[in-house]
Amino acid sequence: MATATGAPVRQHRAPRAAATVPLGAARLLRVELRRNAMPWILPLIAALFWFDSYRPSTGTAPLYALRTFWNMGQGHTIIDFGPFVAGVAAWMGSRDGRRGLADLVTATARPRWAAQLTTWAATAIWAVAAYLVVVGVTFAVYAYQGVGGTPPWWWVAVGATAVTAFSAAGFAVGAYWPSRFAAPVAAFGGFLAMAMSSQTGFRHTSGWALILPTNSNGNFDQADAGIFYPWLPDLPIARIMFLGGIAVAALGLAGLPARAGGQWLRRAAAVITLAGVALAGTALGLASTARPSAHGMVIPAVHDAANDTPITYTPVCGHAAGVPVCLNPAYRPWLPDMTAALAPVLTEVAGLPGAPVRATQVAAAYPSGDGGPPQAITLSGHPPVLRMSLGSLDLPGPCGFCDGPVATRQFAGQTRLAFAQAFTGAGNGSGSPAQQAVQAALLRGAGIPFAAQQKLMASARNGPGPAPGPATGPVYAAARRLATVPAAARHAWLAAHLAALRAGQLSLKDLP
Amino acid sequence: MTAAGLHRPAPGSVPPAAATTRRNLAAAGWQLARLYLISRRVPMALALLAGLGVLLWTALRWRWNIAGGAAARQFIPLTIQTGAAAVIAVTTYRPFGEPERVAGRWLPWLRLATAVALTAIAFGALAAGAAAGGMPGGTLALLRNLAGMAGIGLLAAVVLGGAFGWTGPMAYLLITEGALAHRSATPWVWPTRAPHDRGGAICACLVIVAGLVLITVRGPREPGREPGPAS
Repeated sequence: MATATGAPVRQHRAPRAAATVPLGAARLLRVELRRNAMPWILPLIAALFWFDSYRPSTGTAPLYALRTFWNMGQGHTIIDFGPFVAGVAAWMGSRDGRRGLADLVTATARPRWAAQLTTWAATAIWAVAAYLVVVGVTFAVYAYQGVGGTPPWWWVAVGATAVTAFSAAGFAVGAYWPSRFAAPVAAFGGFLAMAMSSQTGFRHTSGWALILPTNSNGNFDQADAGIFYPWLPDLPIARIMFLGGIAVAALGLAGLPARAGGQWLRRAAAVITLAGVALAGTALGLASTARPSAHGMVIPAVHDAANDTPITYTPVCGHAAGVPVCLNPAYRPWLPDMTAALAPVLTEVAGLPGAPVRATQVAAAYPSGDGGPPQAITLSGHPPVLRMSLGSLDLPGPCGFCDGPVATRQFAGQTRLAFAQAFTGAGNGSGSPAQQAVQAALLRGAGIPFAAQQKLMASARNGPGPAPGPATGPVYAAARRLATVPAAARHAWLAAHLAALRAGQLSLKDLP
Repeated sequence: MTAAGLHRPAPGSVPPAAATTRRNLAAAGWQLARLYLISRRVPMALALLAGLGVLLWTALRWRWNIAGGAAARQFIPLTIQTGAAAVIAVTTYRPFGEPERVAGRWLPWLRLATAVALTAIAFGALAAGAAAGGMPGGTLALLRNLAGMAGIGLLAAVVLGGAFGWTGPMAYLLITEGALAHRSATPWVWPTRAPHDRGGAICACLVIVAGLVLITVRGPREPGREPGPAS
């Protein structure tokens, strides 16, 4: 029998520090993940997200820019998550101090700041993972519902960074103030910050305020982002930098007190804090250089020209009075409404030299300058082509913050009015009296009585204006006269005078 | 000798006068109340409520309004009222657990008195802050909103624990914000109703009464005794 003395001696080497530190940190992180308070609050946050972010979004048209306007554009997803995450993070950050364990944990082998960062990391992992799950489920439901376009992924990243920033800021509050009131104060501070962000953001369409997470100006105002052109990442990049800078600075602050660790560690924490502040400041500077473009906000320093490339697509087409009407496939649900709306007015102008040979959808552009929103329907080219930006119109169906759903008849009225304005050359303005009279006669022929036209124009107007009045006066007198002319004679008069009418050279006396 | 004889006065001893007994009881009661208030961090709560009053005054004085109409103007004052309700809820947190629950038969009354007193003080602080003018709905709406939200905070403390009682008023603020934006008018979201609206006032009263009754009878969820976040 062999004895133990004959066996080769196996030397047990102490594990190297480089190997044990990550393993120990991973174990500590696992413990913190299991003992974290965040999972207890997540059901409440999920319920609030459903109530405040998801539910209102389903009341809008099924296009990503409209569905996500309230929850991503105006930052309600961040409002639903941020303050609660900040409160729970403050509770976790104040844990050792509240329990009177600060001295005890300061004496352990691991620096206190490193242990605190692990606690924060566990809190942030829970919060960000929950955010991504909730948003992922929401987008999956949208996809199931056939929402058109592409999701605003950059804005999802902004939300995830915002949740991280709230967790870091809340944790720093708890670390510095180990009190039972740290959590509600951090959550209240989060709410107040978001309220102030809304207070400032809604009023500023340019400048530094674009960095605020609830400012939707210049990014979610048009329905065609992610449909005709990609979501521009410029402003999201600046916001990610800003929120990331806040997170880094807050975590660095937690490492500054004497009990956080050794001198070198505290110096590193100071450098990290300054780096975070610098990052946030740089982002503010970038946001203040943003300028509006047709597709959203552009920040020259981070802009990639590749993002200006339109998204290619195969249009879906129908016919209205024999004229092909083609839309982006994202707008397929509204093709029958569009052809039905255009058919009466196209029938009226069929055969005229300036009548459109086809109608095609174009991207809705952001307003530039003080001229108000761009014209929803234009007519140009040889042969004439009707260019329609449906994103500028209220589409039939649910309408978010309108007074109620948009009726098919209301949409048809808007479309016919925009067509008549484009056809007579009136454009976005009111046009000359002769153009107004011909426009009124065309609308009357398309089934919109004179008495209803003033109300229709008032509803289509963007911004304040005079209240709709009665259909009286010389313009409507001329329009009534034109409407009583036999269709063939009216057609012949239009064929002869259309160019002069569009040029604004006719007066009411020139009408038959 | 048995323990039964221990409570009997010693033969020949003079029984304490009734006035001395009452004075001792009053001193003991005051000491109990003082210790209770300190253990609940009521002094800090009072400081925070005073700070919220100043914040409300500043917000109204400098017109921190959110653009978007009358409903949006309510949001910042409502946020401050929510903060006050959250502070009241968090004072219910008890760190001692079982020993305190077993030993203190006056605890329910102390909980009730503290919650009522803090709500009244919060109302006073915010009403003083509202003196800057421009408070949406006036003092009546402030009283209704604050009382209702304090009730929600107390209910949240019963369910989640005193440390997490703040989540109730904060969640209610989000619900109110959504209701204001979408013009919902259920009386259960009383801040959306007119100050003299009876339905909103009844709902707010029901909630504060339910909160006070439950916090008195049952107390906040204890850390460690039941699974929950407040451990």
